[in-house]
Amino acid sequence: MSGDLWHRLRRAEWFGLLLISALGVLVLALAKQTFLSPFNIYVMLLGFSLSIMVAMSQMVIIAIGQMNLSVGAIGGLVAISFAGMMEVWGLPIPLAILAGLLIGVLCGCLNGILTVVTGITAFIITLATLSIFKGINLGITEAQPFYDIPAPVKWFGNASIGPIPYLVILPVLAVIAMWFLMNRAVIGRHMLAVGGNPQAAALSGISVGRTIVAAHALSGGLAAIGGMLVVARLQIGQPTIGDDWLIVSFAAPVIGGAVLAGGHISVIGTCLGVIIVTLITNALVLLAIDPFFVELLLGGLILGAVGLNRYREVNAEAARARAHAAPT
Amino acid sequence: MTDATLEIRGVTKDFPGVRALDTVSMRLEAGQIHALLGENGAGKSTLIKILTGVYQPDTGEVLLRGRHQRFQSPRDAIAAGIGVVHQERNLINRFSVGENILLEKLPTKRGLVDYAAVFEQAAPWLAALDLRVDPRTPVIDLSVAQMQLVEIAKALSLRTKILLMDEPTASITPHESEVLFDLLRRLRDDGVSIVFVSHKLEEVFALCDRVTVLRDGRNACESRPLTGLARADIVKLMIGRDERIARFGEKVVDRRRPALELRDVATGHGHHHVGLTLYKGEIVGLYGLVGSGRSELAKAIIGAEPLTAGHVEVNGQSAPIRSVTQALNRYRIGYVSEDRKHDGLILIHSVLRNVGITIWNRIAGVLGLTTRRAEADRVLPYIERLEIRTPSLSQTVGNLSGGNQQKVSVAKWLAAETEILIIDEPTIGIDIKTKTYLHELIWGLAAGGTAVLLISSDMPEMIALADRILVMNNFAIVGEVENTRDYDQVSNAIMGHIHDPSEGQGRAGPPPAAAGV
Repeated sequence: MSGDLWHRLRRAEWFGLLLISALGVLVLALAKQTFLSPFNIYVMLLGFSLSIMVAMSQMVIIAIGQMNLSVGAIGGLVAISFAGMMEVWGLPIPLAILAGLLIGVLCGCLNGILTVVTGITAFIITLATLSIFKGINLGITEAQPFYDIPAPVKWFGNASIGPIPYLVILPVLAVIAMWFLMNRAVIGRHMLAVGGNPQAAALSGISVGRTIVAAHALSGGLAAIGGMLVVARLQIGQPTIGDDWLIVSFAAPVIGGAVLAGGHISVIGTCLGVIIVTLITNALVLLAIDPFFVELLLGGLILGAVGLNRYREVNAEAARARAHAAPT
Repeated sequence: MTDATLEIRGVTKDFPGVRALDTVSMRLEAGQIHALLGENGAGKSTLIKILTGVYQPDTGEVLLRGRHQRFQSPRDAIAAGIGVVHQERNLINRFSVGENILLEKLPTKRGLVDYAAVFEQAAPWLAALDLRVDPRTPVIDLSVAQMQLVEIAKALSLRTKILLMDEPTASITPHESEVLFDLLRRLRDDGVSIVFVSHKLEEVFALCDRVTVLRDGRNACESRPLTGLARADIVKLMIGRDERIARFGEKVVDRRRPALELRDVATGHGHHHVGLTLYKGEIVGLYGLVGSGRSELAKAIIGAEPLTAGHVEVNGQSAPIRSVTQALNRYRIGYVSEDRKHDGLILIHSVLRNVGITIWNRIAGVLGLTTRRAEADRVLPYIERLEIRTPSLSQTVGNLSGGNQQKVSVAKWLAAETEILIIDEPTIGIDIKTKTYLHELIWGLAAGGTAVLLISSDMPEMIALADRILVMNNFAIVGEVENTRDYDQVSNAIMGHIHDPSEGQGRAGPPPAAAGV
């Protein structure tokens, strides 16, 4: 039984990433004693919790073969709306959470509907809505944060069991839900089919337009959860929330093996992608390297990951050509 | 020296799983218009790509004015004086006519484009073609026929001595075609050699001096003078007659109630008054040349494109099909598309998912979740029944051979338990063995009660499988032929419907934008 599991594990496409992550943990633990300190683990889990929501928000859109530049803008708009509705209108927390989710989903729907109706690429549409969402954000806040966050939200953002923050609960549930969605649910299959070949999907009875809108709505919802988690974590409703999400949103899914042309993503791979990004960020802090280098490293990592995927593709094609050339 | 003889000797070209060209020869003399004919998949486009340096032949040689040539890229072919005007336009729409003509060698002054020189140098080429447009006009403002002339001007400006015209009249009106033909005759008289690819035999007889016909990647005839050949002879050469017509067993057609009936159907593509009746257990063939509107009709029947008029009935009940989902789940209609790589399969996905795609909605349980086992249980019997050779269900479809890919695209509709199946060109680019297998399969499906609408340009395939054959031309059904399985009689009857000069003449034709073909 355990042998079978090991065999399946080794064959998984993310096995290499798992080894890299494990190796990273090992090296850092040996290099720095503080790495495995409860506080450091707590910090890394927080970083993971926030990044994974951002990464999955983008992953869904990569699955359908598109890009969503407005992930951060949606997260930011939801964050300040969530904080503002509680501070200004005194909205109860559960209602504010629902309203925040709704805003995220609606923003996503807008992206999806615009791409489907106009036929303009999501890259351009979300570039425009990025600016629109950010503009609404700045219009509401006048670039000032909402400070008056209710105590239970602040508590949730700070509480932990040992080194494990409560904040990690939602992202873990979201990852599990996303795994089922992308691997077992019909709608997830539809998304991957549309990303893989929209013509074939349409001629197989899949509503391509509806699937695209659903993916964008889901992306908006995931970004919304991310935005609200950051509010709980920072304890204020900062208008700048989401500004730095874009790079990691692409880095993690791509490191995790996503095909940018669409049709293939890996939820577990994306998680490992986030873990690797988190480890790198943490290593830079522990080794007292200027944190500004994080962006540079992430950029390099994206190039490396895309390059590796391309290399595999070219190799596979060459192997296929050789196999076909051989007399049958 | 104006001698522009181009000779191809015994050229063979293989692609994975298929031999596209098999020892093909052709001899093009200076000052001749040479027709290159053949049905879909006969190898015409491969031959053109070899002449224009896109592909390199595996064996055989290309000789230009008696000298051996080996074009490594399209640039080599252009440098050697071979120009091609493709069926689809290859102009930059926003650029001016002048820039488009001189694009490969724009005149410059101190590193900047010298526009005065561009328009000055382009003008003579336009004048030579009697094209009265200002070279400053953006190409986007021209008609389709004018764009084609600009492409010819562009080819000529590159000192082209050999001009390949790939179905030049597919998207222009008959009158514009006449103007084009006059121009081609003048070019011929000036010593240009022209290769003319067309499906319209009237044009070939009106224009060409010699003809080469390809069939299944081989020469059906090589550089024969057209004088002395009749239309019927050419048709025979194109569709062949040496293939033995396979006989399958008996099957019963249930003629009590039509499984599918179309009455007076029209579409945005230009189909009009299309009527069609298909019974359970019957195979109805839909024959027609490329661009006659067969695949477009299929896509309209399954709800991928809207009908603009007419009535559809499934099993005697009115069936206003609005989407592919509805066609599949409510009316059990499936469509095996012609272009499996583009329309049929998701190449980066597994065999399991490609076959399962049609049944996900049906096997989904709570929360819309499916299990791999449920999917595999439904898919596996069809993988086995169709003898799809794959190492596992997880194998990526892109890694399978063409024949096995085609089986996968059929399997997904069988798994969906369709009662009406439209099969579009099932055996294009497929090896003989798999072809025979697919024929038996289609026959078996019909014998089992499925109503099959078979779209094919392969005449022997049609005659082997179909019970009746409907002939489509210019987006209308122009005739019906009862299949007696007598090859000569049936093929002549079909060709008679298609090439009847009284049909399809003087038509306005669908507007180019709406035709989309």
